[in-house]
Amino acid sequence: MISDSQPLKEPQTMRAGPSQEDIRRHNLGALLRHVHLGGPISRAELTSRMGLNRSTIMALTSDLTAAGLVREELPRETGRAGRPSLVVRPESARVYVFAFDVGPDRLAVARVGLGGVILDRREVPRDRGRFKLDELAATLSGFARQMRRKTRADTVCVGAAAAVSGGVRKADGVVTFGPNLMDEEVPFGEELGRRLGLGLPVSVGNDANLAALAEHSRGVGVAVKDLIYLHGDVGIGGGIIAGGHLLGGHDGYGGEVGHMVVNPGGRACGCGSSGCLEAEVGERALLESAGRFGAQQGRDAVRAVVEAADRGDIVAQEGLKRVGEWLGLGVANLVNIFNPEMLIFGGMLREIYLGSAAQVRTQLTLHAMAPQRDRLRLRTSALGDAATLVGAAELAFAHVLSDPLEVLARANA
Amino acid sequence: MTPLLEVRGIDKSFGPVKVLHKVEFTAYAGEVTALVGDNGAGKSTLVKCVGGIYPIDDGEIHFDGRPVQVHSPRDAGELGIEIVYQDLALCDNLDIVQNMFLGRERRRGPLLDEDSMEELAERTLSSLSVRTVKSIRQQVSSLSGGQRQTVAIAKAVLWNSKVVILDEPTAALGVAQTAQVLELVRRLADTGLAVVLISHNMNDVFAVSDRIAALYLGRMAAQVKTADVTHAQVVELITSGRSGDLGLKNGVTP
Repeated sequence: MISDSQPLKEPQTMRAGPSQEDIRRHNLGALLRHVHLGGPISRAELTSRMGLNRSTIMALTSDLTAAGLVREELPRETGRAGRPSLVVRPESARVYVFAFDVGPDRLAVARVGLGGVILDRREVPRDRGRFKLDELAATLSGFARQMRRKTRADTVCVGAAAAVSGGVRKADGVVTFGPNLMDEEVPFGEELGRRLGLGLPVSVGNDANLAALAEHSRGVGVAVKDLIYLHGDVGIGGGIIAGGHLLGGHDGYGGEVGHMVVNPGGRACGCGSSGCLEAEVGERALLESAGRFGAQQGRDAVRAVVEAADRGDIVAQEGLKRVGEWLGLGVANLVNIFNPEMLIFGGMLREIYLGSAAQVRTQLTLHAMAPQRDRLRLRTSALGDAATLVGAAELAFAHVLSDPLEVLARANA
Repeated sequence: MTPLLEVRGIDKSFGPVKVLHKVEFTAYAGEVTALVGDNGAGKSTLVKCVGGIYPIDDGEIHFDGRPVQVHSPRDAGELGIEIVYQDLALCDNLDIVQNMFLGRERRRGPLLDEDSMEELAERTLSSLSVRTVKSIRQQVSSLSGGQRQTVAIAKAVLWNSKVVILDEPTAALGVAQTAQVLELVRRLADTGLAVVLISHNMNDVFAVSDRIAALYLGRMAAQVKTADVTHAQVVELITSGRSGDLGLKNGVTP
């Protein structure tokens, strides 16, 4: 999902190397990626960052401008002498994708412009019952249609993708497990694509995996090649980025850190095992150890425990401490195995980490090996609740970034 | 790595009362150093010595590797040391921009250069990813506790400061605002500043710090990497000045 953004340089002798056309396509994608991820940037800056000459950059930007993907403007004021270099901006209001988020207890849809700008957003609670494909796809596509009706005539949708809390098979994007979903095969992307009726495929990814990519491309983990993102919702998910690439595993189910066993024989887990990180740290574990299970659920319930602990409620404090210790143990295992540069706490784990950092880091000191923990940076998500949605949007933009002109031509057709 | 700020063997007495004994303290660029200790351990006195409010009786302060004299808050400001006190020292009846430039207003001829001050204030806040403030022309009296703290911190950062010292920045805040301020503290260090965080809250200390310096009865019990200690060890250092091999031996620095 993260492709190489280094531009290809024309080799001296063209043997079995890439064709002129391949190089041009690659460079167009690379330039668009710079503008998409880095925001408005001058031609001069692009020239130095991409290592291409000025006339090539000019040719590439005029192709992208003609296609309506970017526009060029004079900068407001440079404060420097000489002719100012034109600034290349993404056409955020014109070129957009649909991003969907199917969380365990919320559904969200956003229309996201090129450059990562959230232009429009809807969110509704989802009940925790069975995974009903028809209902979900109908709700989500309904929101998307409402948003689409409000857009101007010159806008163009270039992609769609969904973040799903559950396992997504790499080969065909079919959802094969999730909360209240076992041993079923749900062709979620296919169904949603059919109902959207845009003639676009809907890519599907695991929500925590996509959030990891989002933090890596526009969050706290920009320029960090080895990071682990932990996502707390009802359960615990994760995304592992190693050497700049997401570890998907053989079938695409990699990164399910929530089912790492930290306490053999411990609390029963929804997956059928016991003592999984998710069983010891997830929403139910926290609410039960804080003596609050059954009263309230969801993010508000978790926040209420952290707040009660802060105000001095000793039961809530004990519950949070206990959860923090298990979380720290899980983190220590991950750090020993992957030696990440950064570990990011997202979703509800942001609050849980900040409220139990003394326990988390104590476990890390006790159980992680010194060389691995020495330079490890523990951070909280910069994108917050939007991380999964932003990740879905990036997945939806992936096609247009790999072949901008072709994808746009198809979308306009 | 050379520390950006290094305090060597500082002594400070108020009349017959000795409050700092040969205190050593270092802070590194890009790191958050938590300064912890019980009430009366000398945290505030140490910070005020570094900030040029109290003259030191003995010892040296080194900045970026060279010895410096800090005789006044102005000297500290010129070096790039800014302190955000608990009371925040903001004026309720002024707006955010006016507060950030208070006493150091920019002028264009005889008039105030409002445009450039506004732009710089805006740029500083956005460089810290502060999105919680609606308008920078809002009066400070209308801001929440967390937003005030944010403005006070942004004011300290505005002056190309290199060391920012924060005295209990989360003490009076609720959970959501504490989280925002802690993330801001972390971002300050990630942008290359040396941050010193005074706090009593062990979760706050462990959440964002790279090093912990524990003062005990006016002596520096230990300065350790956060990754190398446990919660229990830090609590022992604070309450008894020692923990196992760490800390003071017979009440004095080994």
